[in-house]
Amino acid sequence: MDFLFASIIDGLLLGFVYGIAAMGLTLIWGVMNVINLAHGPIIALGMFGVYLIFTGLGVNPYIGVVLVAVLGLLLGMLIYYIAVHRVINAPHLSTLLATFSINMIIIGLGTAVFSASPRNVDFSLGSMTLGPITLLGSRVVAAVASLLITGGLYAFLYKTRQGRYIRAVANNRDAAELMGVPSTKILALSFGLGTMLASVAGALIATFFPFTILAGGVYELKSFVIGVLGGLGNPIGALFGGLILGVLEGIIPTFMPTTWVPVLEFVLFVLILLVRPQGIFGAKK
Amino acid sequence: MAILEIRDVASGYGEVQILWGAKMGLEKGQLTSLVGANGAGKTTMLRTVMGLIKPWEGSVWFDGKDISHLPAHAKAELGVVLVPEGRQLFTDMSVEENLEMGASPVRARPHIKRNLEKVYEMFPRLKERRAQKGGTLSGGEQQMLAVARGIMAEPVVLMIDELSLGLAPVLVLGLFESLQQLKREGITLLLVEQNVQMALAVSDYGYVLAHGKVELQGPSRELARDDHVRAAYLGM
Repeated sequence: MDFLFASIIDGLLLGFVYGIAAMGLTLIWGVMNVINLAHGPIIALGMFGVYLIFTGLGVNPYIGVVLVAVLGLLLGMLIYYIAVHRVINAPHLSTLLATFSINMIIIGLGTAVFSASPRNVDFSLGSMTLGPITLLGSRVVAAVASLLITGGLYAFLYKTRQGRYIRAVANNRDAAELMGVPSTKILALSFGLGTMLASVAGALIATFFPFTILAGGVYELKSFVIGVLGGLGNPIGALFGGLILGVLEGIIPTFMPTTWVPVLEFVLFVLILLVRPQGIFGAKK
Repeated sequence: MAILEIRDVASGYGEVQILWGAKMGLEKGQLTSLVGANGAGKTTMLRTVMGLIKPWEGSVWFDGKDISHLPAHAKAELGVVLVPEGRQLFTDMSVEENLEMGASPVRARPHIKRNLEKVYEMFPRLKERRAQKGGTLSGGEQQMLAVARGIMAEPVVLMIDELSLGLAPVLVLGLFESLQQLKREGITLLLVEQNVQMALAVSDYGYVLAHGKVELQGPSRELARDDHVRAAYLGM
Protein backbone atom coordinates (compact mmCIF):
# COMPACT_ATOMS: atom_id res chain seq x y z
CA MET A 1 0.00 0.00 0.00
CA ASP A 2 2.78 2.41 0.97
CA PHE A 3 4.53 1.44 -2.22
CA LEU A 4 1.44 2.32 -4.31
CA PHE A 5 1.08 5.63 -2.48
CA ALA A 6 4.72 6.48 -3.12
CA SER A 7 4.26 5.63 -6.82
CA ILE A 8 1.25 7.91 -7.07
CA ILE A 9 3.15 10.82 -5.50
CA ASP A 10 6.09 10.20 -7.79
CA GLY A 11 3.77 10.11 -10.79
CA LEU A 12 2.04 13.31 -9.71
CA LEU A 13 5.33 15.18 -9.45
CA LEU A 14 6.29 14.01 -12.94
CA GLY A 15 2.79 14.82 -14.15
CA PHE A 16 3.27 18.54 -13.52
CA VAL A 17 6.24 18.54 -15.90
CA TYR A 18 4.32 16.55 -18.51
CA GLY A 19 1.60 19.14 -18.06
CA ILE A 20 3.76 22.09 -19.11
CA ALA A 21 5.20 20.13 -22.04
CA ALA A 22 1.65 19.48 -23.25
CA MET A 23 0.70 23.10 -22.53
CA GLY A 24 3.28 24.15 -25.11
CA LEU A 25 1.67 21.94 -27.76
CA THR A 26 -1.88 22.87 -26.86
CA LEU A 27 -1.17 26.63 -26.68
CA ILE A 28 0.11 26.67 -30.26
CA TRP A 29 -2.84 24.61 -31.44
CA GLY A 30 -5.28 26.82 -29.53
CA VAL A 31 -3.95 30.08 -30.92
CA MET A 32 -3.22 29.18 -34.53
CA ASN A 33 -4.55 25.66 -35.25
CA VAL A 34 -1.06 24.38 -35.98
CA ILE A 35 0.12 21.01 -34.73
CA ASN A 36 3.77 21.51 -33.91
CA LEU A 37 5.53 18.33 -35.01
CA ALA A 38 8.85 19.85 -33.88
CA HIS A 39 7.57 19.68 -30.29
CA GLY A 40 9.64 16.58 -29.37
CA PRO A 41 12.98 17.79 -30.76
CA ILE A 42 12.44 21.13 -29.01
CA ILE A 43 11.95 19.26 -25.73
CA ALA A 44 15.23 17.45 -26.48
CA LEU A 45 16.94 20.77 -27.22
CA GLY A 46 15.79 21.96 -23.80
CA MET A 47 17.44 18.88 -22.27
CA PHE A 48 20.68 19.52 -24.14
CA GLY A 49 20.51 23.20 -23.30
CA VAL A 50 20.58 22.53 -19.59
CA TYR A 51 23.19 19.80 -20.08
CA LEU A 52 25.57 22.08 -22.02
CA ILE A 53 25.11 24.98 -19.63
CA PHE A 54 25.80 22.72 -16.66
CA THR A 55 28.62 20.50 -17.95
CA GLY A 56 30.10 23.03 -20.36
CA LEU A 57 29.89 26.22 -18.33
CA GLY A 58 29.53 24.76 -14.86
CA VAL A 59 26.44 26.86 -14.20
CA ASN A 60 23.76 25.63 -11.79
CA PRO A 61 21.19 23.66 -13.84
CA TYR A 62 18.28 25.72 -12.47
CA ILE A 63 19.86 28.90 -13.80
CA GLY A 64 20.26 26.81 -16.96
CA VAL A 65 16.49 26.23 -17.02
CA VAL A 66 15.90 30.00 -17.02
CA LEU A 67 18.38 30.49 -19.88
CA VAL A 68 16.74 27.63 -21.78
CA ALA A 69 13.38 29.38 -21.36
CA VAL A 70 14.69 32.57 -22.97
CA LEU A 71 16.41 30.66 -25.78
CA GLY A 72 13.29 28.53 -26.30
CA LEU A 73 11.15 31.66 -26.70
CA LEU A 74 13.55 33.15 -29.27
CA LEU A 75 13.94 29.85 -31.15
CA GLY A 76 10.17 29.48 -31.38
CA MET A 77 9.71 32.99 -32.77
CA LEU A 78 12.46 32.30 -35.31
CA ILE A 79 10.81 29.02 -36.35
CA TYR A 80 7.50 30.84 -36.72
CA TYR A 81 8.89 33.54 -39.01
CA ILE A 82 11.01 31.14 -41.08
CA ALA A 83 8.81 28.08 -41.45
CA VAL A 84 5.29 28.57 -40.19
CA HIS A 85 4.16 32.07 -41.17
CA ARG A 86 4.32 31.45 -44.91
CA VAL A 87 1.88 28.53 -44.61
CA ILE A 88 -0.25 29.82 -41.72
CA ASN A 89 -3.35 30.21 -43.92
CA ALA A 90 -2.71 27.04 -45.93
CA PRO A 91 -4.46 23.72 -45.20
CA HIS A 92 -3.28 21.71 -42.16
CA LEU A 93 -1.10 19.41 -44.25
CA SER A 94 1.19 22.34 -45.10
CA THR A 95 1.71 23.40 -41.49
CA LEU A 96 2.25 19.77 -40.49
CA LEU A 97 4.94 19.41 -43.17
CA ALA A 98 6.54 22.73 -42.24
CA THR A 99 6.88 21.81 -38.56
CA PHE A 100 7.87 18.24 -39.49
CA SER A 101 10.74 19.63 -41.58
CA ILE A 102 11.90 21.62 -38.52
CA ASN A 103 11.67 18.34 -36.59
CA MET A 104 13.92 16.63 -39.17
CA ILE A 105 16.42 19.50 -39.24
CA ILE A 106 16.82 19.56 -35.45
CA ILE A 107 17.13 15.78 -35.21
CA GLY A 108 19.58 15.63 -38.13
CA LEU A 109 21.82 18.39 -36.83
CA GLY A 110 21.47 17.19 -33.24
CA THR A 111 22.49 13.63 -34.10
CA ALA A 112 25.46 14.91 -36.10
CA VAL A 113 26.66 17.14 -33.27
CA PHE A 114 25.76 15.16 -30.16
CA SER A 115 25.47 11.58 -31.57
CA ALA A 116 22.66 9.47 -30.21
CA SER A 117 24.47 8.40 -27.05
CA PRO A 118 22.75 9.05 -23.74
CA ARG A 119 23.65 11.95 -21.47
CA ASN A 120 22.66 12.98 -18.02
CA VAL A 121 22.92 16.06 -15.86
CA ASP A 122 25.01 14.87 -12.95
CA PHE A 123 23.53 17.05 -10.26
CA SER A 124 21.62 15.98 -7.19
CA LEU A 125 19.37 17.82 -4.77
CA GLY A 126 19.23 14.77 -2.55
CA SER A 127 15.91 13.48 -1.31
CA MET A 128 13.57 13.97 1.58
CA THR A 129 11.56 11.45 3.50
CA LEU A 130 8.02 12.09 4.62
CA GLY A 131 6.75 9.11 6.61
CA PRO A 132 6.65 6.14 4.26
CA ILE A 133 7.54 8.07 1.10
CA THR A 134 10.83 9.35 -0.24
CA LEU A 135 10.75 12.33 -2.56
CA LEU A 136 13.57 13.13 -4.98
CA GLY A 137 14.56 16.76 -4.55
CA SER A 138 14.90 17.41 -8.28
CA ARG A 139 11.38 16.11 -8.91
CA VAL A 140 9.88 18.28 -6.20
CA VAL A 141 11.63 21.34 -7.59
CA ALA A 142 10.48 20.44 -11.13
CA ALA A 143 6.87 20.11 -9.96
CA VAL A 144 6.97 23.41 -8.08
CA ALA A 145 8.60 25.12 -11.06
CA SER A 146 5.90 23.72 -13.34
CA LEU A 147 3.17 25.06 -11.07
CA LEU A 148 4.80 28.48 -10.99
CA ILE A 149 5.13 28.46 -14.79
CA THR A 150 1.45 27.57 -15.17
CA GLY A 151 0.53 30.41 -12.83
CA GLY A 152 2.83 32.73 -14.72
CA LEU A 153 1.30 31.73 -18.05
CA TYR A 154 -2.18 32.44 -16.73
CA ALA A 155 -1.18 35.78 -15.29
CA PHE A 156 0.41 36.63 -18.65
CA LEU A 157 -2.64 35.57 -20.69
CA TYR A 158 -5.22 37.24 -18.44
CA LYS A 159 -3.47 40.23 -16.90
CA THR A 160 -1.27 41.71 -19.61
CA ARG A 161 -2.01 43.49 -22.86
CA GLN A 162 0.08 41.02 -24.89
CA GLY A 163 -1.75 38.14 -23.23
CA ARG A 164 -5.11 39.63 -24.06
CA TYR A 165 -3.94 40.03 -27.67
CA ILE A 166 -3.01 36.34 -27.76
CA ARG A 167 -6.48 35.37 -26.56
CA ALA A 168 -8.07 37.75 -29.05
CA VAL A 169 -6.02 36.37 -31.97
CA ALA A 170 -6.90 32.82 -30.87
CA ASN A 171 -10.57 33.75 -30.78
CA ASN A 172 -10.78 35.73 -34.05
CA ARG A 173 -7.62 36.71 -35.88
CA ASP A 174 -9.22 39.00 -38.49
CA ALA A 175 -11.17 40.90 -35.84
CA ALA A 176 -8.03 41.34 -33.74
CA GLU A 177 -6.16 42.69 -36.77
CA LEU A 178 -9.03 45.12 -37.45
CA MET A 179 -8.79 46.36 -33.86
CA GLY A 180 -5.14 47.30 -34.36
CA VAL A 181 -3.49 44.12 -33.10
CA PRO A 182 -0.36 43.21 -35.10
CA SER A 183 -1.50 39.62 -35.47
CA THR A 184 1.66 38.29 -37.13
CA LYS A 185 3.78 39.37 -34.17
CA ILE A 186 1.25 37.92 -31.76
CA LEU A 187 1.30 34.58 -33.61
CA ALA A 188 5.11 34.55 -33.46
CA LEU A 189 4.99 35.34 -29.74
CA SER A 190 2.49 32.51 -29.16
CA PHE A 191 4.62 30.04 -31.07
CA GLY A 192 7.60 31.25 -29.03
CA LEU A 193 5.72 30.70 -25.78
CA GLY A 194 4.72 27.20 -26.90
CA THR A 195 8.31 26.24 -27.64
CA MET A 196 9.45 27.93 -24.42
CA LEU A 197 7.14 25.66 -22.44
CA ALA A 198 8.36 22.59 -24.36
CA SER A 199 12.04 23.42 -23.89
CA VAL A 200 11.58 24.19 -20.18
CA ALA A 201 9.78 20.88 -19.71
CA GLY A 202 12.74 19.18 -21.39
CA ALA A 203 15.20 21.09 -19.21
CA LEU A 204 13.37 20.02 -16.04
CA ILE A 205 13.12 16.39 -17.15
CA ALA A 206 16.88 16.43 -17.82
CA THR A 207 17.49 17.18 -14.13
CA PHE A 208 16.30 13.68 -13.19
CA PHE A 209 16.19 11.42 -16.28
CA PRO A 210 18.99 10.51 -18.75
CA PHE A 211 18.27 11.48 -22.36
CA THR A 212 19.46 11.47 -25.97
CA ILE A 213 18.76 13.90 -28.81
CA LEU A 214 15.92 11.54 -29.80
CA ALA A 215 14.37 11.48 -26.33
CA GLY A 216 11.85 14.22 -27.13
CA GLY A 217 9.74 11.88 -29.26
CA VAL A 218 8.39 10.01 -26.24
CA TYR A 219 7.35 13.25 -24.55
CA GLU A 220 5.84 14.57 -27.76
CA LEU A 221 3.57 11.52 -27.89
CA LYS A 222 2.71 11.97 -24.23
CA SER A 223 1.89 15.62 -24.99
CA PHE A 224 -0.59 14.50 -27.63
CA VAL A 225 -2.28 12.11 -25.22
CA ILE A 226 -2.38 14.79 -22.52
CA GLY A 227 -3.56 17.47 -24.93
CA VAL A 228 -6.47 15.34 -26.06
CA LEU A 229 -7.19 14.27 -22.49
CA GLY A 230 -7.36 17.84 -21.24
CA GLY A 231 -8.97 19.25 -24.37
CA LEU A 232 -6.76 20.61 -27.17
CA GLY A 233 -6.30 24.35 -26.85
CA ASN A 234 -7.01 24.36 -23.11
CA PRO A 235 -3.79 24.99 -21.10
CA ILE A 236 -5.29 24.27 -17.66
CA GLY A 237 -6.76 21.06 -19.08
CA ALA A 238 -3.22 20.17 -20.15
CA LEU A 239 -1.97 20.50 -16.58
CA PHE A 240 -4.70 18.16 -15.27
CA GLY A 241 -4.14 15.81 -18.21
CA GLY A 242 -0.46 15.74 -17.29
CA LEU A 243 -1.29 14.84 -13.70
CA ILE A 244 -3.60 12.03 -14.83
CA LEU A 245 -0.94 10.62 -17.12
CA GLY A 246 1.73 10.98 -14.43
CA VAL A 247 -0.37 9.07 -11.91
CA LEU A 248 -1.09 6.32 -14.46
CA GLU A 249 2.63 6.00 -15.05
CA GLY A 250 3.11 5.71 -11.31
CA ILE A 251 0.43 3.07 -10.79
CA ILE A 252 0.68 0.85 -13.89
CA PRO A 253 4.20 -0.52 -13.15
CA THR A 254 3.03 -1.66 -9.70
CA PHE A 255 0.92 -4.41 -11.24
CA MET A 256 2.22 -4.99 -14.77
CA PRO A 257 5.50 -4.61 -16.72
CA THR A 258 6.61 -1.02 -17.40
CA THR A 259 6.61 -1.72 -21.14
CA TRP A 260 2.80 -1.71 -20.95
CA VAL A 261 2.68 1.95 -19.95
CA PRO A 262 2.65 3.42 -23.49
CA VAL A 263 0.17 0.75 -24.63
CA LEU A 264 -2.31 1.73 -21.94
CA GLU A 265 -1.66 5.44 -22.54
CA PHE A 266 -2.60 5.06 -26.18
CA VAL A 267 -5.61 2.89 -25.37
CA LEU A 268 -6.72 5.81 -23.21
CA PHE A 269 -5.97 8.19 -26.10
CA VAL A 270 -8.19 6.23 -28.49
CA LEU A 271 -10.94 5.88 -25.88
CA ILE A 272 -10.99 9.63 -25.22
CA LEU A 273 -11.15 10.35 -28.95
CA LEU A 274 -14.05 7.91 -29.32
CA VAL A 275 -16.06 8.85 -26.26
CA ARG A 276 -15.23 12.47 -25.52
CA PRO A 277 -13.18 14.00 -28.37
CA GLN A 278 -13.35 17.48 -26.80
CA GLY A 279 -11.35 16.12 -23.85
CA ILE A 280 -12.31 15.80 -20.21
CA PHE A 281 -12.03 19.51 -19.53
CA GLY A 282 -13.39 20.76 -22.86
CA ALA A 283 -11.49 22.08 -25.85
CA LYS A 284 -11.34 25.43 -27.54
CA LYS A 285 -14.48 25.87 -29.63
CA MET B 1 -11.16 67.20 -49.88
CA ALA B 2 -12.09 63.63 -49.14
CA ILE B 3 -10.52 62.18 -45.99
CA LEU B 4 -10.68 58.63 -47.39
CA GLU B 5 -10.38 58.02 -51.10
CA ILE B 6 -10.59 54.84 -53.09
CA ARG B 7 -8.92 55.38 -56.48
CA ASP B 8 -9.73 52.92 -59.28
CA VAL B 9 -9.39 49.87 -57.07
CA ALA B 10 -9.42 46.39 -58.58
CA SER B 11 -9.31 43.36 -56.29
CA GLY B 12 -10.76 39.97 -55.59
CA TYR B 13 -10.10 36.52 -54.19
CA GLY B 14 -7.67 34.14 -55.85
CA GLU B 15 -8.51 34.17 -59.56
CA VAL B 16 -11.90 35.79 -59.12
CA GLN B 17 -11.97 39.51 -59.69
CA ILE B 18 -14.72 41.30 -57.75
CA LEU B 19 -13.89 45.01 -58.00
CA TRP B 20 -13.27 46.50 -61.43
CA GLY B 21 -11.89 49.99 -60.94
CA ALA B 22 -14.13 51.24 -58.14
CA LYS B 23 -13.76 54.90 -57.23
CA MET B 24 -15.23 56.72 -54.26
CA GLY B 25 -14.45 59.28 -51.58
CA LEU B 26 -15.67 60.05 -48.06
CA GLU B 27 -16.04 63.72 -47.17
CA LYS B 28 -14.83 64.56 -43.70
CA GLY B 29 -17.58 64.64 -41.09
CA GLN B 30 -20.23 63.25 -43.43
CA LEU B 31 -22.24 60.08 -43.30
CA THR B 32 -21.79 58.33 -46.63
CA SER B 33 -23.60 55.21 -47.69
CA LEU B 34 -22.48 52.50 -50.07
CA VAL B 35 -25.40 50.46 -51.31
CA GLY B 36 -25.90 47.72 -53.82
CA ALA B 37 -27.29 44.25 -54.30
CA ASN B 38 -25.89 41.17 -52.62
CA GLY B 39 -22.67 40.24 -54.45
CA ALA B 40 -22.02 43.70 -55.88
CA GLY B 41 -18.65 43.83 -54.08
CA LYS B 42 -19.44 45.99 -51.04
CA THR B 43 -17.71 43.79 -48.48
CA THR B 44 -14.77 43.23 -50.84
CA MET B 45 -14.44 47.01 -51.08
CA LEU B 46 -14.21 47.31 -47.29
CA ARG B 47 -11.77 44.41 -46.98
CA THR B 48 -9.58 46.01 -49.65
CA VAL B 49 -9.72 49.41 -47.97
CA MET B 50 -8.62 47.82 -44.69
CA GLY B 51 -5.90 45.75 -46.32
CA LEU B 52 -7.34 42.36 -45.39
CA ILE B 53 -7.02 41.75 -49.13
CA LYS B 54 -4.43 43.60 -51.19
CA PRO B 55 -5.59 45.80 -54.08
CA TRP B 56 -4.56 44.39 -57.47
CA GLU B 57 -4.68 47.85 -58.98
CA GLY B 58 -5.45 51.34 -57.77
CA SER B 59 -4.84 52.83 -54.36
CA VAL B 60 -6.43 53.85 -51.07
CA TRP B 61 -5.69 57.30 -49.66
CA PHE B 62 -6.26 58.55 -46.13
CA ASP B 63 -5.73 62.17 -45.14
CA GLY B 64 -3.62 62.80 -48.24
CA LYS B 65 -1.39 59.74 -47.84
CA ASP B 66 -1.30 56.51 -49.82
CA ILE B 67 -2.13 53.74 -47.33
CA SER B 68 -2.78 50.97 -49.90
CA HIS B 69 -0.07 48.68 -48.64
CA LEU B 70 -0.42 49.09 -44.89
CA PRO B 71 -1.64 46.02 -43.01
CA ALA B 72 -5.07 46.30 -41.36
CA HIS B 73 -3.71 46.82 -37.85
CA ALA B 74 -1.65 49.80 -39.01
CA LYS B 75 -4.76 51.35 -40.57
CA ALA B 76 -6.63 50.93 -37.31
CA GLU B 77 -3.74 52.78 -35.64
CA LEU B 78 -4.32 55.68 -38.04
CA GLY B 79 -8.01 55.77 -37.16
CA VAL B 80 -9.49 53.87 -40.11
CA VAL B 81 -11.77 51.41 -38.36
CA LEU B 82 -14.07 48.73 -39.73
CA VAL B 83 -17.02 47.15 -37.96
CA PRO B 84 -17.01 43.94 -40.00
CA GLU B 85 -19.89 42.02 -41.48
CA GLY B 86 -21.19 39.30 -39.17
CA ARG B 87 -19.96 41.25 -36.12
CA GLN B 88 -16.78 39.17 -35.65
CA LEU B 89 -16.86 39.55 -31.89
CA PHE B 90 -14.42 37.91 -29.52
CA THR B 91 -17.02 35.37 -28.50
CA ASP B 92 -14.94 33.87 -25.65
CA MET B 93 -14.31 37.27 -24.07
CA SER B 94 -16.65 39.31 -21.89
CA VAL B 95 -18.47 42.33 -23.26
CA GLU B 96 -16.11 44.64 -21.39
CA GLU B 97 -13.02 42.80 -22.66
CA ASN B 98 -14.36 43.12 -26.21
CA LEU B 99 -14.62 46.86 -25.63
CA GLU B 100 -11.12 47.01 -24.17
CA MET B 101 -9.86 45.16 -27.24
CA GLY B 102 -11.46 47.90 -29.33
CA ALA B 103 -9.22 50.41 -27.56
CA SER B 104 -6.05 48.60 -28.71
CA PRO B 105 -4.71 51.33 -31.03
CA VAL B 106 -2.19 53.55 -29.25
CA ARG B 107 -4.21 56.64 -30.12
CA ALA B 108 -7.29 55.17 -28.38
CA ARG B 109 -5.62 54.01 -25.14
CA PRO B 110 -5.61 57.36 -23.26
CA HIS B 111 -9.36 57.77 -23.92
CA ILE B 112 -10.43 54.30 -22.84
CA LYS B 113 -12.35 55.46 -19.76
CA ARG B 114 -14.19 58.27 -21.48
CA ASN B 115 -15.07 56.05 -24.46
CA LEU B 116 -16.25 53.25 -22.20
CA GLU B 117 -18.62 55.66 -20.45
CA LYS B 118 -19.75 56.96 -23.82
CA VAL B 119 -20.61 53.57 -25.30
CA TYR B 120 -22.31 52.43 -22.09
CA GLU B 121 -24.43 55.58 -22.26
CA MET B 122 -25.25 54.94 -25.94
CA PHE B 123 -26.00 51.26 -25.31
CA PRO B 124 -27.15 50.74 -21.69
CA ARG B 125 -27.82 47.07 -22.51
CA LEU B 126 -24.10 46.49 -22.91
CA LYS B 127 -23.46 47.94 -19.45
CA GLU B 128 -25.99 45.51 -17.97
CA ARG B 129 -24.28 42.63 -19.73
CA ARG B 130 -20.68 43.74 -19.41
CA ALA B 131 -19.51 40.57 -17.61
CA GLN B 132 -21.27 38.25 -20.07
CA LYS B 133 -19.35 36.48 -22.85
CA GLY B 134 -19.72 38.15 -26.26
CA GLY B 135 -20.98 34.92 -27.79
CA THR B 136 -23.96 34.69 -25.46
CA LEU B 137 -25.56 38.01 -26.49
CA SER B 138 -28.65 38.28 -28.69
CA GLY B 139 -28.20 39.36 -32.33
CA GLY B 140 -29.10 42.97 -31.62
CA GLU B 141 -26.83 43.18 -28.60
CA GLN B 142 -23.99 41.65 -30.62
CA GLN B 143 -24.42 44.33 -33.26
CA MET B 144 -24.40 47.01 -30.56
CA LEU B 145 -21.20 45.52 -29.16
CA ALA B 146 -19.59 45.42 -32.60
CA VAL B 147 -20.37 49.10 -33.17
CA ALA B 148 -19.35 50.02 -29.61
CA ARG B 149 -16.04 48.16 -30.03
CA GLY B 150 -15.42 50.20 -33.18
CA ILE B 151 -16.13 53.45 -31.30
CA MET B 152 -13.64 52.43 -28.59
CA ALA B 153 -10.91 52.55 -31.26
CA GLU B 154 -11.30 56.36 -31.38
CA PRO B 155 -11.97 56.29 -35.14
CA VAL B 156 -11.43 59.12 -37.59
CA VAL B 157 -13.32 57.11 -40.19
CA LEU B 158 -15.73 54.44 -39.02
CA MET B 159 -17.00 52.00 -41.62
CA ILE B 160 -19.88 49.71 -40.76
CA ASP B 161 -20.71 46.66 -42.88
CA GLU B 162 -24.37 45.59 -42.88
CA LEU B 163 -25.52 47.28 -39.71
CA SER B 164 -29.14 46.29 -40.24
CA LEU B 165 -28.70 42.67 -41.33
CA GLY B 166 -30.96 40.33 -39.38
CA LEU B 167 -32.15 42.96 -36.92
CA ALA B 168 -35.68 44.09 -36.08
CA PRO B 169 -36.50 47.52 -37.60
CA VAL B 170 -36.87 49.14 -34.18
CA LEU B 171 -33.31 48.09 -33.27
CA VAL B 172 -32.00 49.34 -36.59
CA LEU B 173 -33.60 52.76 -35.99
CA GLY B 174 -31.91 52.93 -32.58
CA LEU B 175 -28.53 52.13 -34.10
CA PHE B 176 -29.02 54.74 -36.84
CA GLU B 177 -29.75 57.28 -34.07
CA SER B 178 -26.38 56.40 -32.52
CA LEU B 179 -24.69 57.02 -35.88
CA GLN B 180 -26.13 60.53 -35.99
CA GLN B 181 -24.59 61.19 -32.58
CA LEU B 182 -21.19 59.99 -33.83
CA LYS B 183 -21.52 62.22 -36.87
CA ARG B 184 -22.22 65.22 -34.62
CA GLU B 185 -18.98 64.39 -32.81
CA GLY B 186 -17.13 64.78 -36.09
CA ILE B 187 -16.49 61.13 -36.98
CA THR B 188 -16.61 60.39 -40.71
CA LEU B 189 -18.92 57.47 -41.32
CA LEU B 190 -19.43 54.95 -44.08
CA LEU B 191 -22.50 52.81 -43.93
CA VAL B 192 -22.52 49.78 -46.20
CA GLU B 193 -26.02 48.43 -46.61
CA GLN B 194 -28.24 46.11 -48.56
CA ASN B 195 -31.16 47.99 -47.06
CA VAL B 196 -30.99 50.76 -49.66
CA GLN B 197 -34.02 52.71 -48.51
CA MET B 198 -32.85 53.06 -44.92
CA ALA B 199 -29.25 53.81 -45.88
CA LEU B 200 -30.25 56.60 -48.26
CA ALA B 201 -32.67 58.00 -45.67
CA VAL B 202 -29.96 58.58 -43.05
CA SER B 203 -26.88 59.40 -45.15
CA ASP B 204 -25.66 62.64 -46.72
CA TYR B 205 -24.13 61.16 -49.84
CA GLY B 206 -24.49 57.79 -51.48
CA TYR B 207 -22.72 55.46 -53.85
CA VAL B 208 -24.43 52.64 -55.70
CA LEU B 209 -22.15 49.71 -56.43
CA ALA B 210 -22.97 47.19 -59.16
CA HIS B 211 -20.74 44.51 -60.68
CA GLY B 212 -17.66 45.83 -58.93
CA LYS B 213 -17.99 49.44 -60.13
CA VAL B 214 -19.67 52.57 -58.85
CA GLU B 215 -22.74 52.78 -61.02
CA LEU B 216 -24.26 55.95 -59.55
CA GLN B 217 -23.39 58.51 -56.95
CA GLY B 218 -24.87 61.68 -55.54
CA PRO B 219 -26.51 63.31 -52.55
CA SER B 220 -28.60 60.61 -50.90
CA ARG B 221 -31.84 62.58 -51.22
CA GLU B 222 -31.38 62.77 -55.00
CA LEU B 223 -30.40 59.12 -55.29
CA ALA B 224 -33.55 58.12 -53.44
CA ARG B 225 -35.59 59.99 -56.08
CA ASP B 226 -33.65 58.56 -59.03
CA ASP B 227 -35.85 56.44 -61.28
CA HIS B 228 -33.21 53.79 -61.85
CA VAL B 229 -32.46 53.43 -58.13
CA ARG B 230 -36.17 53.31 -57.33
CA ALA B 231 -36.77 50.58 -59.89
CA ALA B 232 -33.66 48.50 -59.23
CA TYR B 233 -33.24 48.77 -55.46
CA LEU B 234 -36.36 50.17 -53.89
CA GLY B 235 -38.89 48.08 -55.82
CA MET B 236 -40.97 51.07 -56.87
